[in-house]
Amino acid sequence: MLTFLPYTFKSLWRHRTRSLLTISGAGVALLVFCFVGSVQHGLFALTENQEAGRSLIVFQENRFCPQSSKLPQDYASTIAKQSGVADAMPIMVFTNNCRASLDAIVFQGMATDLLMKWRKLALQSGSWDGFARQDDAALVGKAVAARRKLKVGDKFTIGDITVAVAGIFAADNAADEGLIYTHLDFLQRARGLSDVGMVTQIEVHLNDGANADAVAKAIDEEFHAGPVATTTRTKGMFQADTLSDLAELIGFIHYLGFACVGLVLSLVATTTVMSVQDRIKEHAVLQTLGFRPRRIFGLVITESVVLSVLGGGLGVIGGMLFLAWSDMSVAAEGVTIAFRPSWDIAMQGAIASLGVGFLAGLAPGWQAAQAKIVTALRHA
Amino acid sequence: MSLVEVVDVSKEFKSGEETIRPLDGVHLTIEEGDFVSLMGASGSGKSTLLNLVAGIDEVNSGHIFVGDTDITELNRGKLADWRAANIGYVFQTHNLIPVLTAYENVELPLLLLPMTASERAKRVEIAMAAVDLTNRAGHYPRQMSGGQEQRVGIARAIVANPTVVVADEPTGSLDDDTTEQILSLLQRVNRELGMTLLMVTHDADAAQRATRQLRLERGQLVENGKPILPRALRTA
Repeated sequence: MLTFLPYTFKSLWRHRTRSLLTISGAGVALLVFCFVGSVQHGLFALTENQEAGRSLIVFQENRFCPQSSKLPQDYASTIAKQSGVADAMPIMVFTNNCRASLDAIVFQGMATDLLMKWRKLALQSGSWDGFARQDDAALVGKAVAARRKLKVGDKFTIGDITVAVAGIFAADNAADEGLIYTHLDFLQRARGLSDVGMVTQIEVHLNDGANADAVAKAIDEEFHAGPVATTTRTKGMFQADTLSDLAELIGFIHYLGFACVGLVLSLVATTTVMSVQDRIKEHAVLQTLGFRPRRIFGLVITESVVLSVLGGGLGVIGGMLFLAWSDMSVAAEGVTIAFRPSWDIAMQGAIASLGVGFLAGLAPGWQAAQAKIVTALRHA
Repeated sequence: MSLVEVVDVSKEFKSGEETIRPLDGVHLTIEEGDFVSLMGASGSGKSTLLNLVAGIDEVNSGHIFVGDTDITELNRGKLADWRAANIGYVFQTHNLIPVLTAYENVELPLLLLPMTASERAKRVEIAMAAVDLTNRAGHYPRQMSGGQEQRVGIARAIVANPTVVVADEPTGSLDDDTTEQILSLLQRVNRELGMTLLMVTHDADAAQRATRQLRLERGQLVENGKPILPRALRTA
């Protein structure tokens, strides 16, 4: 069939406007498909990764937005003594927008030694020393830095908090690249508030083999009668609960991905049907020359697959470039979902394009292959 | 043994309630190297007979042997393979593939046959030279005159060195001068390349260029004023 590939391309080029419109339509649909895929991928990475199940978040009971949760910082030392706990890290969280937003900024203030120990940050510029030396220093995730065009040495203000960029980091977890880390006491004193001794949440790291649910229950029981009651969940569950509204929405836009695939299917199928109907006589001539019906079927399928794969390929490449360039993320209540390109999404897009191209060519291919030669030769 | 034997072939069509039977127990033999013209009134079934011999239409009854093969017994796939190797078809309206150059159009039937690229190129060059269009090899059909297109069509028909070349009114859409060129070319194909030709035409002058002239009248073939009768028939 490769022998006839030039014929396929020339046939597509004959109706270049129609072909290019189909390719561009398929491209746009696959771009959206990749975007939807990356949103789902981001949510999945946040709630299902290994760390999400092996660490706990202790939050004030019945509180949701970070601004409303206030736990005594010394809870951390009590928690650290619990069986199964490797470390407890008090964290102050501040966000400029508790509702879902594409440009929410989330600060996390924590002790430098714990930050270095528990966050896998790779500094792309700046230094840890620079961060440690300066009270108002901040380590900025590369996604935020790109979005806000920040570089080391810059000072910027968000919601009355002014920080100096001491470093820009990349992280294993893309969602972390949407955060800004500061010193804990700096964030406790920021905005004129006197929250010294109070934190938003405590992140608990478990020993190997510790039962996360049992430890969470023990922590909540410990503080049940204390000054502030707690709710403790695995990090994955905490993030899933926090993002539950968004997760529902993301679950719904899953269907948008299917709709995109359906759109490509109908677009490519329409073009292929038109192409076959335009060339009823041409296919009859090919059969007269000795082309088997099966080969005619193959030619039509090839044409349909080429259209779909070209459009889909451009869409996938465009989608990946857009996701890489835009560093987009959505945050709600201090939790960030990062939209990042991935090979998984690219492969899904490529496979969808290939499958859709094949499906779109089935009916017109069958129609072309089954045409009666003599009747088709009389076709105008 | 004859190259082509049409044995008691009938073909009928439905036209509303009416059944039309243009071929009604037709017999025909064509020897290797014959140039046979076939005339008849419009709707007499001459193109139908040609299409049956070319293996692009199906008989209602009877058999057609080409060489040792009873083509009425072949399924669609095998019939296509058989056509690729044994039939060269010249259409009235040329029917070149518009997106392919003259060279590519002529090369097309060879892509279906097992041969090397160099052998393919050699055969295409010979066929293009035979129709005197070597200098037009890179032209597309839209860049050629009707006569040139028909010559490319003839080159495409002969390039695979087929058992039989069939031509369905090959001069039907051409002016007098071009008609003369095409008929001369078909005669050369028959005489110099030794190819067997079956040509349908409505033009008596064109028919005279053939070595045998047949007429189709009331569903039967007539040669030299006499109906063609069955002769030592093969058994199907």
